[in-house]
Amino acid sequence: MSNLIELDNVGKFYGNIIALKGVTTTVNAGEVTCVLGDNGAGKSTLIKILSGVHDHSEGTYVFEGEECAFTSPRQALDRGIAAVYQDLAMVPLMSVWRNFFLGAEPTIGRWPIRWVNKTKAKSIAKEEMAKMGIDIRDTEQPVGTLSGGERQSVAIARAVYFGAKVLILDEPTSALGVKQSGVVLRYIVEARNRGLGVIFITHNPSHAYPVGDRFLILNRGHSMGNFAKEDITLSELTQLMAGGAELEQLQHELEQAVSGRG
Amino acid sequence: MTDAAAHPDADEGRPDERLAYRGVFTRMLVRPEIGAVIGSAAIWLFFWAVSEQFGTAGGLSGVLDVSATLGIMAVAVALLMIGGEFDLSSGAATGALGIVTILLVKDIGELGGAGLNLFIAIPLSFVVAMALGWYNGTVVERTGLPSFIVTLATFFVLRGFKLGFSKLTIDNISVGRIDEGRGFDFWHPIFAGVWNRNEHVWDTRDVVYTIGILLGLALFVLAVYEGNYLRKKQMNPAGLLMFAGGLAGTGAGVVLMHFTDGISNDVLSGAVIAGSMILGLIGVALWRYEPITDDNSIHLDSRVLELAGLGIVVIVVGVVCALVVDVDGQQTILDRLPAGVEWLITVAAFALAGAIAWRRRSGGWAAGSEQWTVLFQAVRAGLVGAVSILAFMFMTTEQGLRAILFVGLSTTGLILLAMAALRARKSSPLSGSLILALNSLVIAALALFIQAESGHPKFRTEIFSVMMFGAVLVLAWALVSSRCQQRKAADHDADRLSTLLSAAGLVAVLVGLISRLLWTTTAENDSGVAFASFRMSILWFIAVTAVATFVLGRTKFGSWIFAVGGNKEAARQVGVPAAKTKTQLFMIVSGAAWLVGLLLAFRLQTLQSGTGNGLEFEYIIAAVVGGTALTGGYGSVLGAAIGAFIMAMSKQGIGLALWNSDWRFAFLGVILLGAVMANNFIKAKAEAVR
Repeated sequence: MSNLIELDNVGKFYGNIIALKGVTTTVNAGEVTCVLGDNGAGKSTLIKILSGVHDHSEGTYVFEGEECAFTSPRQALDRGIAAVYQDLAMVPLMSVWRNFFLGAEPTIGRWPIRWVNKTKAKSIAKEEMAKMGIDIRDTEQPVGTLSGGERQSVAIARAVYFGAKVLILDEPTSALGVKQSGVVLRYIVEARNRGLGVIFITHNPSHAYPVGDRFLILNRGHSMGNFAKEDITLSELTQLMAGGAELEQLQHELEQAVSGRG
Repeated sequence: MTDAAAHPDADEGRPDERLAYRGVFTRMLVRPEIGAVIGSAAIWLFFWAVSEQFGTAGGLSGVLDVSATLGIMAVAVALLMIGGEFDLSSGAATGALGIVTILLVKDIGELGGAGLNLFIAIPLSFVVAMALGWYNGTVVERTGLPSFIVTLATFFVLRGFKLGFSKLTIDNISVGRIDEGRGFDFWHPIFAGVWNRNEHVWDTRDVVYTIGILLGLALFVLAVYEGNYLRKKQMNPAGLLMFAGGLAGTGAGVVLMHFTDGISNDVLSGAVIAGSMILGLIGVALWRYEPITDDNSIHLDSRVLELAGLGIVVIVVGVVCALVVDVDGQQTILDRLPAGVEWLITVAAFALAGAIAWRRRSGGWAAGSEQWTVLFQAVRAGLVGAVSILAFMFMTTEQGLRAILFVGLSTTGLILLAMAALRARKSSPLSGSLILALNSLVIAALALFIQAESGHPKFRTEIFSVMMFGAVLVLAWALVSSRCQQRKAADHDADRLSTLLSAAGLVAVLVGLISRLLWTTTAENDSGVAFASFRMSILWFIAVTAVATFVLGRTKFGSWIFAVGGNKEAARQVGVPAAKTKTQLFMIVSGAAWLVGLLLAFRLQTLQSGTGNGLEFEYIIAAVVGGTALTGGYGSVLGAAIGAFIMAMSKQGIGLALWNSDWRFAFLGVILLGAVMANNFIKAKAEAVR
């Protein structure tokens, strides 16, 4: 299988600050690559490089066999790399269908008499959401009235509809409850099954492990390794992510504190 | 994959079953401009009742004239506000752009203008306007400063320029005589054409007017029927026949009323109209809607009877007050009362306030500080109470007291009766209908009472017929709602028909109103109350509102306006050119200011350098009254236009009612606060329903 994205030893410096160093991973079509790391591990920097907000300082970033250095998110979007950010990129007071097509509304007529094809936009929005397994009640309802998981799903469905080959999800489950997170994880699987390459950024290994095919672990700006699913277990993943020995220490202390109280 | 995913098309057009059905009224309440619509109707009724001239075509043409220039700007400012920005220079810009145009065309005398042809000057001032908007937008975008500050600076600069530049070039702060410009004869009709309609006599006008209004209201009622009741599977043709008969009878009644004279004929034709309308409306119900099958007996619980009884008692008290209090008494109430009564009132107010404050603090004089708190509260409340009672008595004449008592008490009574009907409806439709029928009787009785007692022809004829018509509708409503099943689920076809019917009703009402506005009758011409002249600015206002509504609601750019106002970062991330959109909005506002500047320049021919200064807040008020959010991302163009109409009504109405126009601003302030509170209330209600 050909790789959609290949990162080889990618790094990013801001002046003398090393934000990211030595990141190597691959993203395949129909696979989920999870990027794990605690706060400040360099996950955001990696997203910014992937989605074209920043250029990388060293290493190579190959997309569909072509080395690239994006300078704007638009360029990455045009190539098919779509990022769904934590703050959702939704306008809460606008209806679902307007949000879905925002910036790329289907129109009828010629300028200056050109208007949005409302019926088409509404039916496509509903249909695309249904393909993701979400039955939206009314596409006229404002996005602000949807639940957190549903909002994520609108963002994901939008990215998929507009021809994304790679979907970058920045902490899609961090603000959600257990059930809602489960819903979003299902959409991730749905997107993967439709042949997209998904990059799932999270600091929660128990969310990442069930859906991921490949895991890249970051800690303090450095890559702690890049594993296929069969090479690693959930507990190993958790340990690596938190810096291994430190977590063991913490667990030990916690156990002592709990038994001391009991 | 779910079923919906497998057959996405099967779902199209049919609403989701998880969506609770929203009734017709609730769906209307979700629109942002609904507060403004209700407000404008209330204010119109208010001024219509207190002023001789307000309700006539002449009065309305004056209101429209004022609302036109205000409304064009309010519409543009609303777009900008939905986009999340303000423009405080918009008022000053109207004057500035008008002055620029005049200076461009004025002859090069000893002092003076550029002497250009108007065909060059008008496009040139448009370029100036675009540059102004571009400047505002670009500075706001580039510096990231709040638009409030940036445009405030522009406002002061413009104000200085207007004064300085006109003094520099023509040494005068009033820049005048655009009519000296070449090409004036071509442009004058476009920007300041006047259309006098006084010699256009059409004696059957009132027939068209009455039929239009009646037909429109009947169509609205049918629309509500269609939205509210469950359709029959098998239609009943007998009902259709009845409907047709009712329709024909109503038309015949209206014609009869207009072509015969004499009171007995009026009563006869009134009865024919009312009877046929009830017949027609019941016919529709028989024809289309499913009858109630479950138990529909009468249950009136004690609370319903209490409310209804109280309502009738209150109305009777109101009628008695109207009969007892002197009709023509011009003395204030305080003058009529025996001397010393104001002291009695003051003492009573303080005593009452003290008693209430005492009861609230059940602890009594327990703690030391408590006593003083109670005392302080009692004194404060007593002071407020005494002052307001005395002020009321000082300002109100007997005649006024009579009107206030009658209107206040009878309205309260009707509201109580309506509450009783709503409550009775919960136990069974038939019980609700019974109380509704009582409502209808009471309204009819009140109408007859007003007709018998009132000295003013407006109340005798117009209010009387409105109230009688209302009584007929309520009665028809009562009869139908006792028989037909309420719809519980959405029905796409019925909703579509309902929308269509209400649109047709709106058209019929508008045709009636417009015919009344545009034509006079011989009788009106003879009595000289029909003076109506319309200016071109009204057409511009309508055109700008229509185009802006289309742009905001149906185009890409409209979506982008909502997006940049609602969440600018999100809009930018999905590829909306946010900075460009906002700059274009500023240019739309300055373009509107250019249009208004020209309208003013051609109409007045001489502009003062202060023209337009300070009006920017009125534009913002109009937009806010129309339901536009100050925070951006929410609002309506139509609402802003109606908001401008409300402002114009209050400006003109105070003059036409012959009140002291110094109170205009106080009135505006009350309207602003009231409208925004009403909007918020309605929005909260509507959101709760979602």
